[in-house]
Amino acid sequence: MRRGDLHYVSGEEPHLADDFAVVARDVRKRFGALEALRGLDLAIRAGEIYGLLGPNGSGKTTFIRCVAGLLRPESGTLTVLGQTPRAAVTSGRVGYMTQAPALYGELSVEENLRFFAALESVPHADQRIEEALRAVDLLDRRQSVVNTLSGGMRTRVSIAATFLHHPRLLLLDEPTVGVDPVLRHELWSRFRRLASAGITILVSSHVMDEASRCDRLGLIRSGVMLAEGSAAEIVSRASARDLESAFLTFAEAL
Amino acid sequence: MDPRRVRAVAQRIVLGFRRDRRSLGLLFAAPIVVLSLVGAVWGSATERVPTVLVATDRFDLPVTIVNNLVGSSAIHGRRGTFDEGVRQLRDGSVDAVVWLEATTVHIQIEGADPLESGSIGGAIQKALTEAVAAGNLGLTGPTIAIEQLYGGADYSILDYLAPVLIAFFAFFFIFLLSAVSFLRERTTGTLERLMATPLRRGELVLGYLAGFGFFALLQAILILLFTVFVLQVRYRGNLATIFIVEAVLVVGAVSLGLLVSAAARNELQAVQFVPLVLLPQVFLSGLLIPVDQLPQYLGPISALLPLTYANEALRSVMIKGYGLSDPLVLRDIGILTAFGLLMAFGAVASIRREVA
Repeated sequence: MRRGDLHYVSGEEPHLADDFAVVARDVRKRFGALEALRGLDLAIRAGEIYGLLGPNGSGKTTFIRCVAGLLRPESGTLTVLGQTPRAAVTSGRVGYMTQAPALYGELSVEENLRFFAALESVPHADQRIEEALRAVDLLDRRQSVVNTLSGGMRTRVSIAATFLHHPRLLLLDEPTVGVDPVLRHELWSRFRRLASAGITILVSSHVMDEASRCDRLGLIRSGVMLAEGSAAEIVSRASARDLESAFLTFAEAL
Repeated sequence: MDPRRVRAVAQRIVLGFRRDRRSLGLLFAAPIVVLSLVGAVWGSATERVPTVLVATDRFDLPVTIVNNLVGSSAIHGRRGTFDEGVRQLRDGSVDAVVWLEATTVHIQIEGADPLESGSIGGAIQKALTEAVAAGNLGLTGPTIAIEQLYGGADYSILDYLAPVLIAFFAFFFIFLLSAVSFLRERTTGTLERLMATPLRRGELVLGYLAGFGFFALLQAILILLFTVFVLQVRYRGNLATIFIVEAVLVVGAVSLGLLVSAAARNELQAVQFVPLVLLPQVFLSGLLIPVDQLPQYLGPISALLPLTYANEALRSVMIKGYGLSDPLVLRDIGILTAFGLLMAFGAVASIRREVA
């Protein structure tokens, strides 16, 4: 199996910016001696939940930070919602949730959300904050100081802060790490609801069993794309039993 | 540049400190405690009257003069022999022994503390001049009357220290708090989160300036009220000018804090920068030692420190009553503004979007 065969399992090349929320072509990024992204290619369709799967250190976070405009790739092209990453962020169409909840612990839930709403120039902030708090089921904790919340609640506040401004693209970096199974189930049905409202979601994970919840997957390792497609497509293409062995098959072929 | 985003950042800082009682205590109570101590130590204008033994066995002058000297109000005089005097000087029961040898008056003092030596010498000189003049022997020496352009005989060291302490506290606490706050943004990941919003780096720095400027203003008001009404520090000059100097100084302090936070990896390291930033300013900015009394080679270092200019400006305003129209005050404000802008641009540059 040649490496080129693994790309675009579905067989289509992303031509139209409208059809694709994120298009990466040969994206490279290095930190000193470490080459975190080694010519990554991927395409995320508008409105889908795209799961970026790979072991720790495979380049998932580096790629998401490139999409969020926080890192500039050394070479290759990266188009986000038809714009450069930073332009997409500046126009308020991207929501980014960092791996650890990035909140101000000494502020209340509502003060945190109000702050992020102001940064994104959200209109009718009161209404949007109420709507976001209802979505993550934290309406009764709006006055609580974040430092007094449990880890799971902080994760939910962090998620609420990412979609206050109704972004077109949500970047979720391992949102379910350290989250109990009940809350994980809850979060995924929340992501599904956001996706059905037309929001594209890029979610990273190193847990293979979360893959079935995504529309399409990108398996990455050492900064290159191993395979892209739906879970079923990838499994059948590797003639494997499950995604985990499919991943190993592709990783060996690398 | 969107002023609403700048305001949001400033508001975030103010709201955050509202629940951080310890930092608020540091900001507002600490200067009051330190100022009270300084007031207790240096607040009194009256100097200690030294106890002086006049060695009558070696004092070959008319008895009226010796009587005048022993009875002078400038010293606590007592009579004794030279040997007694030396012994009492050793055990600390007198501060000085005076005797006459040929035509020279000798004053023997302990001499371990140069500051005290000066004040003892001065008191005895005053007592001697009075004693000789009152002796009616036609032996009057030249009388020296010192008249002060600013201040006055009743001005204490505290009056001289108060203006620079206002600058010092503003610089120290605001620098420390902004450095630690921004370091927290870096280490908790909120900075990364902010950089993934439309917020610009310049807006972030301006928000920090506004937020901490608010606290600096409150602190300055509190310190001024306390020094003027409780410690009874005399002050002349325009209140608005004091706040203008304070404001441009704080721009530099906040920005320097942001810069330092870029060089530190954790709060412990940030705190280790404090002596490096602070101690040179304590010794070289004219806070304790006047700048023109410093060794020449330290001059250029002194000229680089923002507190040097803040001290000069605040002393000019508070002691001499100079206003904004004074070229010296204007020059100081100009230099402080330049320093603040330089640091602010440095701070913006230090916030790289690439925070790998």
